[in-house]
Amino acid sequence: MRRVLLTFLVLAIAAVVATTAAQARPHRTVAGPSGNVVLSGWASSGSEFDFLTNVVQDFEKKYPNIHVTYQPINGNYPQAMLARFASHTPPDVFYVDSSVAPDWMAAGVLQPLNSYFSKFHFSTKPFFPRLLSGFTYKGQVYGLPKDWSPLAMEINTSMLQKAGVGVPTTWPALIAAAKRMQVTNAVPGGAPICLSADWARLLPFVYQAGGSFLNKAGTAPVLNTPAAKKAINFYVGLATSGLARTPDQLGSGWCGEALGKQKAAIIFEGNWALPYMHDTFPTVSYATYAMPHGRARGDLGFTTSYSMAKDSKNKAAAWTLLSYLTGAQGMKKWTDQGLALPSRSDVPPAAGRSVLIKEAPYSRAWSFFPGFSDVYTVMNNDLTAVFQGKKDVQGMINDIQAATVKALKK
Amino acid sequence: MSAEAYRVRGGRPGRAREALVGYAFVLAPMAVFGVFFLFPIGYAIYISRYNWGVYGSQGSVGWHNYGWVLHDPIFWRSMRNIGEYTAWVVPAQMALGLFMAVIVNQKIKARTFFRSAFYFPSIASSAAITTIAIFILNADGLLNKALSLVGYDHHTPWFYTTTTAMPTIAGLNAWTTSGTMMLFYLASLQAIPNDVYEAAAIDGAGRWRTFWKVTFPLLKPGHFFVAVVSILGAVKLYDQAFIVSGGTGGPDYATLTPVLLLVQEAVQNIRFGYAAAMGVILLAFMVVLTLAQRLLFGRSEAA
Repeated sequence: MRRVLLTFLVLAIAAVVATTAAQARPHRTVAGPSGNVVLSGWASSGSEFDFLTNVVQDFEKKYPNIHVTYQPINGNYPQAMLARFASHTPPDVFYVDSSVAPDWMAAGVLQPLNSYFSKFHFSTKPFFPRLLSGFTYKGQVYGLPKDWSPLAMEINTSMLQKAGVGVPTTWPALIAAAKRMQVTNAVPGGAPICLSADWARLLPFVYQAGGSFLNKAGTAPVLNTPAAKKAINFYVGLATSGLARTPDQLGSGWCGEALGKQKAAIIFEGNWALPYMHDTFPTVSYATYAMPHGRARGDLGFTTSYSMAKDSKNKAAAWTLLSYLTGAQGMKKWTDQGLALPSRSDVPPAAGRSVLIKEAPYSRAWSFFPGFSDVYTVMNNDLTAVFQGKKDVQGMINDIQAATVKALKK
Repeated sequence: MSAEAYRVRGGRPGRAREALVGYAFVLAPMAVFGVFFLFPIGYAIYISRYNWGVYGSQGSVGWHNYGWVLHDPIFWRSMRNIGEYTAWVVPAQMALGLFMAVIVNQKIKARTFFRSAFYFPSIASSAAITTIAIFILNADGLLNKALSLVGYDHHTPWFYTTTTAMPTIAGLNAWTTSGTMMLFYLASLQAIPNDVYEAAAIDGAGRWRTFWKVTFPLLKPGHFFVAVVSILGAVKLYDQAFIVSGGTGGPDYATLTPVLLLVQEAVQNIRFGYAAAMGVILLAFMVVLTLAQRLLFGRSEAA
């Protein structure tokens, strides 16, 4: 019995020693971070999925020790991401849209990046400041803008020619051009202009009139000004006078589709319309022009960041991926494929985007404060009511101001 | 044990064991019911008393969430919307279901084919049906083109006009779920004994009178069941409202249903406690509704 016990004890000790020694022995020396990183976001089209896969493959060639799993989420992105945050199993690097960024930063699901900037000598100077500020909260940066797009004016060139007008550059010129198009029936079965009942398309006109949604400090709404009212009345006037129709009145999901189906000649959309038109309506001849200006020039900038999850299990490798994708080299590879404009001043845009890039100095970020989505709901519902003649402009302004004050107080 | 002991207990031998076997069979479904229904309801009631963020509680608010929900004018607008929707959809579903059940209950050729065809929309994906419906009901879609052929040339964007959005969704849903209602009515119809019809025929009642005076009243258990299922399903409307409005609640709050508002509060505003309170209020509303129906229409006989 004693003999058996002794043999067993010796074998047990030997096993423990062997396994410990095996774990302590390094596999090989690895320079830099390694491991698995999960990259996520939404893929708005098959081409976006393919383009980003290409960029990821280039990254893996440069950093062979890091393996990236690209898993875009289709469907309701915020809902899917919230479930992942709550279960502490988020992707390591992912998209954050500037409109939800304030809520996600306030909720504490994103990793603050300032310490990585200093540790790895990563400069944020090349990023357009207005875009970067959308991802800054209480002095910390929580995401780096991966690209951006302003709004521009896309016009069907053959319809413009048929109407015999030049490209409008001011508000009165826009009205005149639309009237000419109506008279010459340049847009049969449609309307000269397609306007969405969406404040994300109306706000640039407010900026062009010299007005603003929030005051400079971002602490109070300032829509009850003559400048803002002038812009809103101009926009609503286009719709109520019949010079402009909403996408659903033109049988389309958005104005880009209306342009493609040739139900509208003039639309106001961003860089995303260009690959869409190229893929879906390649035979329609159109051109991109600068937004018209009122008293001043004004535009909105829509941007998305790459951010790191607070609960990421491999932050070192995640940072390497993040800094590559938002670095000059990685961003150039992404934006050269034409889906969006670079958010760094040291990266040149893809060909044919110069009109859009020229809007940069006048573009303000589409990003406001936590809880903005409640205000946005009121904004769009009221604007729809105004378009349908059920509400007046002052009533809408009052509703929006009240909702903003309520949201800012929280 | 002795035979006397068995007799004293008044039971067959192994009665306790039989009961145990019965409970064992019920255990698995009850466990599923407990985990997927009872536990979430209890948990929702729990978190509705807190400010609940992504990572959990951010402080207790007692029962204030309920007060805030009940004082929210947008919540009442959504309740009004769902009331309007229910008023449209329930009679439509019941009428359509009964109509199809009566057809399919007769000895017609290809009866089985018609049964499957009428039932098919219920099992098809509602998301796919809604997406296709968006194209068909567009301003220049199929329906408007067909209507313009008969003289109605208004090209209304059915889903995007505030007055027609909800009734259009109701029409779409009436078509998709009427198959299920048809099945319920069919079961009820087949429970009516044949001699009732024979008696009516002897008394000289025509087809129409037989239906209204004999069949329809005898379907009372069917009516009650279909009405309850229909109303409960209508109050929970979410997916069509979400797809049609793109998650926004439609042109000027027209398609905002309570469940859509609940999901918006949870996902966009990350206020899970507030959303949970809304869910509990909806649950209470549906319980009250069902009880009211039960009291108003009396006890349903075994259907």
